[in-house]
This record gives sequence, C-alpha cells and structure tokens, in this order.
Amino acid sequence: MDVIEQLAGSVTIVEPRGRIDSATAKEFGDRLSELLNSGRHQLVIDLHSITYISSAGFRQLLIAKRSIQDKNGKLVLCGISGEVKRLFDIGAFDELLPIYPTREASIANAQ
Amino acid sequence: MDDRCVETRIRNQIAEVESVAETVSRFCATHNLSNQLLVALGVSLDEALSNIIRYAYRDRGDHSILVRLDYQPGSVAATVEDDGQPFDPLSAPPLDLAAPDRDSGFGIHFIKNLMDDVRYIRTNGINRLEMRKRIV
Repeated sequence: MDVIEQLAGSVTIVEPRGRIDSATAKEFGDRLSELLNSGRHQLVIDLHSITYISSAGFRQLLIAKRSIQDKNGKLVLCGISGEVKRLFDIGAFDELLPIYPTREASIANAQ
Repeated sequence: MDDRCVETRIRNQIAEVESVAETVSRFCATHNLSNQLLVALGVSLDEALSNIIRYAYRDRGDHSILVRLDYQPGSVAATVEDDGQPFDPLSAPPLDLAAPDRDSGFGIHFIKNLMDDVRYIRTNGINRLEMRKRIV
C-alpha cells in the first residue's frame, strides 16, 4: 500500500493505493495519526485507488474519525464504488463514516 | 498438484498475511477470476488469518498456518488450517449493525457475507475453515 497526499487549502487529501488489510492497516492508521498530530484536522480520504479494505482498515478509519472529532476536525470519504462500496454496505459503514460522491464535494464538506 | 490448487504456509505473524494476498492476486490472474472473487477471497482470508494470528495461540511460539486455494468448475475454495485453540468462527454471535459504537466483530461478518458456503471442522488438533465462492 502506498499513500499519496495532497493539500487543498486547509484540507489534506489522503489517497491510499493497493490493499488496506491486516498487514498494512497499522501503517495507514499511523499516517492518519501523524497528520492529526501535525495539526491537519480536516481530512479527505479518497479510496478510489484501493483494491479492497478489510476490517483492520475499517477499524483504523473509525479510530481516526473519533480522534478527529475530539479535535473538532472533520474526516470525510470519497471514491467508494464497485466492490469497495459492497464492503462498506456489508458492514453498514456508510452509517458510521461520512461519504460523498466526489472529491470536490468531500473537500467542501471537510472545511 | 497443478495450478488449479495452490498451497502456501505462513508463520503466525501479521506481516505474513501480505504474502497470502499476493498469492490470491496471482491465483485470480491465472484463472481469469473477476475482481469480485479477488476481493471476496482476499478479504475473507485476511479476516480468517488475522483472527488466528491474534487470538488462536496461547503461547508465544512459532506456528505454521496452511492456506490452500482450490479452483474447481463453478467455484473456488479457500481453506485455512491452524493448530491453535479450538475456535468455530461460525459460532460467533452475529454483528449488531444497529450498534452505533460497533468496532469489532466485523471479520466473521465479512466472511459470512462475501462467501457462499463456510464450514468449520476440528480434527486431530487442527482447526479447518473452508470458504467457498461460486464463480458466476
């Protein structure tokens, strides 16, 4: 898994690529924690380049969401379609994590 | 054994799961399997193996876990065998999707929903989990 990062004003866009599974989830979660600890409290996570995300990855997203809420920031997701959307549906994660259809909408709602 | 059946062994270390994901990817490419099958096999094996590695062993010793992928007409089976504590994942209570603070129990839930047939058997000190998915 690689993680590409971009800035859009005060919003940080995080784009993981590959698999977010039990072998890579901690690295992904650690990177999100680093961003939060460096003052980046408005995060968009664009998942359009991931192959899949397992429960270990979802757990990291939920941990990051709670940490960001504690800092009065925002974490929103986009780029969820196909089999990845099916995984979100199976776990009903769309009820736990804010998801927007486009990166632009996510950036607007992360501010 | 031809390429319809692939077997690999990993140690009980979470980093070793990565090699299984690579094996699944090659297996799906070899048999021209869909992305839906790749995701079902990849996620289900990740959930099964991470549960075993985290919870199956009371000691701190090295253990070997067998993973087998079997391509058959109309279906693919993924089998995992470990020598950890007896545990039937199918006996776990269903995940309460209405609980707003839920953050565990997703693994078995994913396996049950991604695969078409899941069976567990304990024989001769070995847990054996067979997960089957139809090719449509």
